[in-house]
Amino acid sequence: MKPYLGLLRMSARRVLAYRMSSVILWIGGATFLAGSLAVWHALLADGDIGGYDWDRMKAYLLVGWATGALGSAYGDWWMANRILDGHVATDLTKPLDYQWARFSEHMGGLATEFIAIAVAATAVMALTDGLPLPGPGQALLFVLSFLMVAPLKFAIAYITTMVCFWTQNFMGVSWAKDAIVTLFSGALIPLALLPAWLAGPASVLPFASITATPAAIFLEQATGWEALRLLAVQAAWVVALWWGARLIWRRALRALTVHGG
Amino acid sequence: MSLVEARGLTKIFRRPEKDPGLRGALKHLVQRRFKDFRAVDGIDLSIEAGESVAYVGPNGAGKSTTIKLLTGILVPTAGTVSVAGLNPNADRVANARNIGVLFGQRTQLWWDLPVRESLDLLRDMYDLSPAFYKQRLERLDAVLGLGELLPVMSRKLSLGQRMRADLAAALLHQPKIVYLDEPTIGLDIAVKDRVREFLRELRADGTTLMLTTHDLGDIEDVCERIVIIDEGRKIFDGPLAEMKDRFARVRRMHLQLAEVTPLEKLAERLPEVEIVGGESPTEVTITFDRFRYTAGLVIAAVLDVVEVGELHLDEPAIEDVVRKVYAGELLR
Repeated sequence: MKPYLGLLRMSARRVLAYRMSSVILWIGGATFLAGSLAVWHALLADGDIGGYDWDRMKAYLLVGWATGALGSAYGDWWMANRILDGHVATDLTKPLDYQWARFSEHMGGLATEFIAIAVAATAVMALTDGLPLPGPGQALLFVLSFLMVAPLKFAIAYITTMVCFWTQNFMGVSWAKDAIVTLFSGALIPLALLPAWLAGPASVLPFASITATPAAIFLEQATGWEALRLLAVQAAWVVALWWGARLIWRRALRALTVHGG
Repeated sequence: MSLVEARGLTKIFRRPEKDPGLRGALKHLVQRRFKDFRAVDGIDLSIEAGESVAYVGPNGAGKSTTIKLLTGILVPTAGTVSVAGLNPNADRVANARNIGVLFGQRTQLWWDLPVRESLDLLRDMYDLSPAFYKQRLERLDAVLGLGELLPVMSRKLSLGQRMRADLAAALLHQPKIVYLDEPTIGLDIAVKDRVREFLRELRADGTTLMLTTHDLGDIEDVCERIVIIDEGRKIFDGPLAEMKDRFARVRRMHLQLAEVTPLEKLAERLPEVEIVGGESPTEVTITFDRFRYTAGLVIAAVLDVVEVGELHLDEPAIEDVVRKVYAGELLR
């Protein structure tokens, strides 16, 4: 346990070592959030769309933005680059489980993100006349489902980076992943607004657990047993992807080629 | 059973075969062709505890691949490896506790944080007690001058400092077996000497050492045994002294003479050596068999004829020996 906590700490310190870069990242993120709020404010001026009024859409966008931001500092590029530049070789000479080690680093990378998300949430509430907040029980369910997003996003990123063992390049893989996750998680627009032929796959893929689930719980669209069912689905995806990643990893090691000495 | 034991160790990589240029690249997209490349081809190797082995061969001979097979990073295509009774790939985590690995061309330090932090993390990884950790740091400070590097951000280290810090990182947990892949690459003479001194001390402590290098100095200073490989196959395995006696007989002395001297006059005094003039008329290069002549004898003979200004001696380089081996001059 100790070495993994050590990795988590180191990863957090690394993110903090680049304060300037973090600040720029968050300014960009804030701009995007402000932009999408402005767009939806204009769209909703003439009335509700798909059951979302301005207040609910505000909350949805904030949750969507926060779940999208989670895990972006220590992203898939860190992991992919270590595979591509061969540093994976040194990682493999350490007495650590590779997946747990990367997971610890991922969690350490969240260090600044919770602060940034809190700042953004406060700003949105202060500047747009508040948000519809869930009751205490529902809020607890929301926190649980929000925390589950971290390991879920890790598992998806980890599996995606392993594609590098075969492709030797991450650019295309990363873009494809970002596009699919953004669309099918509901981060782009609520899944309820998607046409049926897109909503179908979205409902059976793991990505809805990233944004649609926490948002539905926050907006009290899912309460009681339905909320618990969604949490169970999230947890099931975390477990399934975690073990799926282990299977892929075993195959990936066989494909490992470390270039340049 | 030996500490490190490899039998028939083989690693085959699949390489895409592409025709040159954009056309070739496009064609490869449609019609993919691959060729098997045997990086390591049936290597048998036994290393006893406490041995120090130099693993030598030209670029692309399969040295690093062998190290990666022995350390459990790569899965062999065929053959077996056992290190201290463990299969380094299947028992990777357990094996990692026994070994220390340095890849000279890569760092294991955390680039954005002080060296100290990376070492603290390794302390946690190998579960070292505070007392042992302190004692190791002191020892590494004494031999590698680690102390001055501890507070420095890794990315601000010079190459020599980086290598010292990386060596400390690889050896912090006092591993039984140490693999060093080009530990002196790119280092200046002073740092090289320091690193070699450190490796000698390691050997004296009874650590088993395997290093790949292109530098004869590393080998002479540190290793008793040399293994030469080429195209993934082992072509020499034996004591360093034996290899030198057999394949590195020739030394070369470069002289700057005080005045122009006919080469024949020197040749009269030095039968069975090769004497060649240099760029200027007063420069001479004498190539001799070190079993027939000592450097002293050669100089004495030259001094009988003419005063000598400057001189320097080329020791047989490992590359020369390796080159001869490929040329077929070595037949076991």
